[in-house]
Amino acid sequence: MEFEAVIGLEIHVELNCATKLFCDCPNRPGDEPNLNTCPTCLWYPGAVPRLSRDALEKASLLCLGLGAELQPVSAFDQKVYYYPDLPKGFQLSQAHCPLSRGGGIDIMDETGKPKRLRIHHIHMEEDVARLVHEMEGRLPISLVDFNRAGAPLVEIVTEPDFRSPHDAMEFLKALRTQVRYVGSSECSMENGTMRVDANISIRPRGTDQMNTKVEVKNMNSIRHVGDAIAFEIGRQSAAVKAGEAVVLHTRLWDPDKKATFMMRAKFEGPCVPDPKVPVIELTAEYIEAMRSRLPEMPAARAERFIAQHGLTGEEAVFLSSDPEVAVYFEALIAEGVAPRTAMHWLTTQLIPAIRERGQKPGDTPVTPARFAGLLKMMSKDEINANAAREVMAHLFESDESPEAIVAARGFAQVSDSAELDSLIDKVLEDQPDAVAKVRAGQNKALGFLMGQVMQASGGKANPKIVRELLAKKLGTN
Amino acid sequence: MESIFRYRNPDTAGASGGPLQGVNIAIQPNVSVEGWPTDAGSKALVNFTALEDATIIRRLREAGTAVCGSTRMSEFGFGLDGSRAGEALKENAADVEMVLDLMGESRLAASRASVCGFKPSYGLVSSLGLIGLIPSMECWGLLSADIDRIRRVLDTISGPDPLDFSLPDEPAPDFSARGIKPENTSIGVISEAVSGLSSDSKNAFQASVDELKQAGFSVRELSLPDMALFSLVHNIVGSVEASSCAGRYDSVRYGRRAPGARNWNEMYLLSRGAAFGTLVKSYLFQGAYFQFERYAAYEDACRIRARLVADMRKLFDKADFLIFPAAVGGRFGQAASLAATYEQFAATLFANVTGQPALYLPPAPGSKAAGFQLAGPRRSDARVLALGEYLLNLRQEGNV
Repeated sequence: MEFEAVIGLEIHVELNCATKLFCDCPNRPGDEPNLNTCPTCLWYPGAVPRLSRDALEKASLLCLGLGAELQPVSAFDQKVYYYPDLPKGFQLSQAHCPLSRGGGIDIMDETGKPKRLRIHHIHMEEDVARLVHEMEGRLPISLVDFNRAGAPLVEIVTEPDFRSPHDAMEFLKALRTQVRYVGSSECSMENGTMRVDANISIRPRGTDQMNTKVEVKNMNSIRHVGDAIAFEIGRQSAAVKAGEAVVLHTRLWDPDKKATFMMRAKFEGPCVPDPKVPVIELTAEYIEAMRSRLPEMPAARAERFIAQHGLTGEEAVFLSSDPEVAVYFEALIAEGVAPRTAMHWLTTQLIPAIRERGQKPGDTPVTPARFAGLLKMMSKDEINANAAREVMAHLFESDESPEAIVAARGFAQVSDSAELDSLIDKVLEDQPDAVAKVRAGQNKALGFLMGQVMQASGGKANPKIVRELLAKKLGTN
Repeated sequence: MESIFRYRNPDTAGASGGPLQGVNIAIQPNVSVEGWPTDAGSKALVNFTALEDATIIRRLREAGTAVCGSTRMSEFGFGLDGSRAGEALKENAADVEMVLDLMGESRLAASRASVCGFKPSYGLVSSLGLIGLIPSMECWGLLSADIDRIRRVLDTISGPDPLDFSLPDEPAPDFSARGIKPENTSIGVISEAVSGLSSDSKNAFQASVDELKQAGFSVRELSLPDMALFSLVHNIVGSVEASSCAGRYDSVRYGRRAPGARNWNEMYLLSRGAAFGTLVKSYLFQGAYFQFERYAAYEDACRIRARLVADMRKLFDKADFLIFPAAVGGRFGQAASLAATYEQFAATLFANVTGQPALYLPPAPGSKAAGFQLAGPRRSDARVLALGEYLLNLRQEGNV
């Protein structure tokens, strides 16, 4: 029997708010342990929760950015469980009335066909404390860090529309891009600001039954999500073929062993409405105000790049996937750089250089104005591509203008024919073998001679003029 | 004999020149006061000291009151078992006592001490710093022999609090005195609220109704057929809320951690098992049962609660105030079980279910009438207090 997988994802995204969800403590989980705490996020008796407006707005933007419908009424519930990371015995989460319903993301499936993966709902909830397990001598101890307790989260719960690891990975990449676009979170699985649980079940291909699902956690990259799903599909298929029953439980992904392991039987009780957090009523004006704050989303921007700047689909998707890159690209064009030059230099040169230095396109010292200055000097033949790469490196080191760097360090291109003439004559004299090969029609040798001339000029010769002069002297055209 | 105080404040000076200067208030150890032991009468909170002042404490001190200490209370204020509420007034150790009212505790404590006891509208007073058990039912009640004191204290502590978002978005109520004119004021008697009384209690209640009639009020008989459901709704919704909300009392950070646990799950079980008294423990068990095994019944109870609130509101189209007996059955000191506790508070818990204000008035000295409750619609607190004050004044003038 052939099986197909039915997969749904639950994605926790930590909002990049300045404060926690229900108090004014800084939302900086990485600080010195237990620094950012107060009676509310320690959940001391007598404390009351105060919902952060910033968190509500960032969550609302995230929902709208994913095409979801904000609900006029949503409310918080108490999700009861006892664990040391949750000292009040319940987590505040929107179990019955979530912030939004619906929405979805369009991806390409493995065969290149478009496919919509639907979102069931998105709700807000608070994060729990972080547990650190250590040894004190030979005694195992557990420490609790409350810096993360009460941090603002949203949980995105999808429909079980996914059929493969590919679907899940494409969905997560697009989700990450869109959430970064609206500015609600960095969505880094590596840093824990995006955490993914996958619910996986299998069924005979072609049927529409829903079988018992298994939840898999603990993947800390999008690739691991794909690996874990692939492993789990294989494990469940083998189990069913061997006649074993699949039972509802949670498994942890072990990235070293590349396998999932049983964690615990899953326990979920119904949630009780929280009597202290007021019901959230969103007015039509609020929803409209949020909608007007939405930036141009990546899919729309990519289409515009194709239409307006003549990029290919692939180029447009690449440039629009990071909002900072997209903004940088359009700033170059506004400075008068040709779109194809801007696209080419951004993708092959500047972005790798920025990443290498741990910077971001939005905060690099190589501003669009300075980089545009460099590209324009190149298109006016004042410098060549080699020199441009070197000047770019200097732009990172100093705050001089590209013109000043070219002038001060002698990167200006040599286009003077008389000066180049004597250089070329010297090369032709030194390389009689290559000259003979060119005359015999071997064009590769012409390239070699070009290289020799460029080297002799210290990289500053104008390659166009060198090529013309060489052709004339060797009579190749 | 054990002191009626759990904690006595060595420094009772309030701000000088405030409107409540010279008023001496006793609270319970469920009001957060920085540095005071605030165990809410439970072993689950042994050694817990509040980190911040409740909003009401800040307001009381600014108004010049002396907060003289906290009196011994029942566990989390649930029921009156072990509570000494009302005794500080009798001993002249305080002018006003603040007593948490989850199902009528402040009103029954007032009846025990023969003073007035007022449960304000839900959402009128900031709950920041309240260490309670049933968040949607409970609020601080005020006990005093003098209704004007209750009014002035309530005026001081009520109104919007930027630190408590759970308060409804309503302006601070107006407590300026309003005249009561009996000739154009009607008072309703809900027949279902009286039908369960013993014949002695019925007669005593009738004497109270007669007092109103003599004073010139028109008294109307009204009906609320589902009156008996208040107790059921309070019991189910209250216990589920308590069970879920009391999750924080896990004896890990404060309270006493039970020894001998092999892992943290056992630590929770043993510590929580040792922390709670029998009554509260059975309430929490019941709540967990409804939450996890009979959730639909809990949802039904929530829906019925909404209907009861609406039914009660409609009665105020027919009467300006309602009069209720103060006790139906049950006696103090015998409420060890949940059933006995609910029986004891059967006449008072309606106001906790609906969130409306209710005032207990003691009988006139020497009268054969019983004490009774006066209730108004939500946020009619000033008028209910004015009515109570009007009746007390009549008694003093010897007109009834």
